[in-house]
Amino acid sequence: MEAIRPPSYAAANRDIIRVMFKPSFLYLAGLGVSVALVGLLAFCLLHEIWWGMGMAGTNNASFWGTYIVTFVFWVGIGHAGTLISAILFLVRSKWRTGVYRASEAMTVFAVMTAGLFPVLHLGRLWQVYWFFPYPNQRYLWVNFKSPLMWDVFAISTYFTVSAVFFYIGLIPDFAIVRDHNKGIISKVYDLLAVGWRGTNRQWHHYMAAYGFFAAFAAPLVLSVHSVVSWDFAMAVTAGWHSTIFPPYFVAGAIFSGCAMVITLLLPMSYIFGWKDYVNEWHYDALAKMCLLTSGILTYAYATEYFIGWYSQNPHEWEIFAWRATGEYAWAFWLMVFCNCIAPLPWYIPKLRTNPWVLWIIAGIINVGMWMERFNIVVSSTAHGFDPAMWRMYAPSMWEIGILLGSGGWFFMYFLLFSKTMPAVAIMEIKELIAAPVKGHVEAK
Amino acid sequence: MSTAAAAPPTTRIKAVYGHLDLFLTAVDRLKRAGIVGWEVVSPLPRHEILDIVYEGRPSPVRWWTLTGAVSGLVGGFLLTSLTAAQWPMINPGGKPVVALPAYAVIMFECTILIGALFTGLGMVVHTGLPGFFLDKALQDPRFSDDKFGIVFTRAHAADKDRIVKILADAGALEVATGDDAIYEVPNA
Repeated sequence: MEAIRPPSYAAANRDIIRVMFKPSFLYLAGLGVSVALVGLLAFCLLHEIWWGMGMAGTNNASFWGTYIVTFVFWVGIGHAGTLISAILFLVRSKWRTGVYRASEAMTVFAVMTAGLFPVLHLGRLWQVYWFFPYPNQRYLWVNFKSPLMWDVFAISTYFTVSAVFFYIGLIPDFAIVRDHNKGIISKVYDLLAVGWRGTNRQWHHYMAAYGFFAAFAAPLVLSVHSVVSWDFAMAVTAGWHSTIFPPYFVAGAIFSGCAMVITLLLPMSYIFGWKDYVNEWHYDALAKMCLLTSGILTYAYATEYFIGWYSQNPHEWEIFAWRATGEYAWAFWLMVFCNCIAPLPWYIPKLRTNPWVLWIIAGIINVGMWMERFNIVVSSTAHGFDPAMWRMYAPSMWEIGILLGSGGWFFMYFLLFSKTMPAVAIMEIKELIAAPVKGHVEAK
Repeated sequence: MSTAAAAPPTTRIKAVYGHLDLFLTAVDRLKRAGIVGWEVVSPLPRHEILDIVYEGRPSPVRWWTLTGAVSGLVGGFLLTSLTAAQWPMINPGGKPVVALPAYAVIMFECTILIGALFTGLGMVVHTGLPGFFLDKALQDPRFSDDKFGIVFTRAHAADKDRIVKILADAGALEVATGDDAIYEVPNA
């Protein structure tokens, strides 16, 4: 399996920049579909604002439906990007270089998508500023003891740090795009590069700051999905109130995120002809990461059942037995198939480098991870302590429209990114290329 | 009538290298000759370059990071505890008014957020960004491609010949002085 093999610094610049600004028909068609889905999102949202939250399928028992399921799904998707860009940077993993820029972009856009859902779930979304602590004439403050408030802080911090980290990584590459273009494009990219010149002074402090950003982002990525898991685990609700939730959620987030990186990067690297930069070496590593986290998830699913049985808590056991045999059993077994069984072919090394197998399994994992969140969020509230309050939940057509629209919202940003920014980090790719040396002049 | 001594005339000097070892040799010779006032420009942050220029001195950005992180931690504690202390009669679920385990999450997030923002601010301050107004001799598209450069934006004119000789002897592809050191984009 070949690692990154670009021939020279200049070739790396040329190969990565050449795909920018020239949309193909396929690209424009993809962008058109994404924009249409964003239109669907806007339409469904306006409908819900006009007629109220009754348009959603939620009810008194199942008060958290598709919006919260999809919120957790998109937050989870973002995690692989930060893992790849920050944690693998700190451990100096070389395979991250080819894939980290696109993964980081995926993180920023996934968190932007996730951020829509708590707002939509509010119903009166114009009061979203109530989420944040601000001095007011009523002397009222948010409840900092609530896990939902922890989530507001965690997601806001995660988005801000990820976006700044993403932008700072782009600055030297924006300067390269500026220097390879003329006229207005060059001027716009000079602004984006904030006049970057690549002097020793700039590199010295830039690299120090970049390391600190990575050091901040690494614990952040582990904390954010732990905090999201506490939205559930802190509630005294059967099926939620478990100490296993933080590691279980973090492993699931990395699993789904790595699968999404494969889903996005595989077609992109083939269409752009980037075999020297993103290739089997990267996909093999991503598939191994998925296998590891799939194993952790399978173990966590089994542990939940063991705890439910061993605790002899009837409510706990009831909810887990019902998940596997009740009305939502189809969702449970679909989750088990997609997350525990479907990735197993990747234990065969050849199948970790076959593009079709990679892409299909990664797609199945994406579906499975949405189903996992559906299982957790919906089943515990639909089938609570009081049988008189058992109410089934099914998403309404407006919620499905918003779910599809969120996919359009995410892909629209990703497609725009792929044509306006270097989707592979040129500067870091150069670090893997042997420096040009003449070799006959010695320092005196 | 006395006048202030006129500043000695200065000039730009720029050397372009196609090979890292030749470039490092030039930097080393400049340092050994005691010549100051140069900047190096490179397409990537090679550790050999930073080692020879900074001799292992760490960037002061770390102090910005520490200041931001500590401020965030303290700010997170003050925000959570002082706002709760404003309503001491409300005691939900028997938890203490100032509940550190619950506030630890907010304090952690504030530490990360303010620490990261201060790091960004420190980077901006120390790198001198935005760099739109840096000397034009530093604006050379070859330096973001595959060439390494040494630039004097204000070398003493009296030292010009000596500097040019050192730079050229080390194997520069090109040594330009004065206004010739400003790169003109072909066919712009």
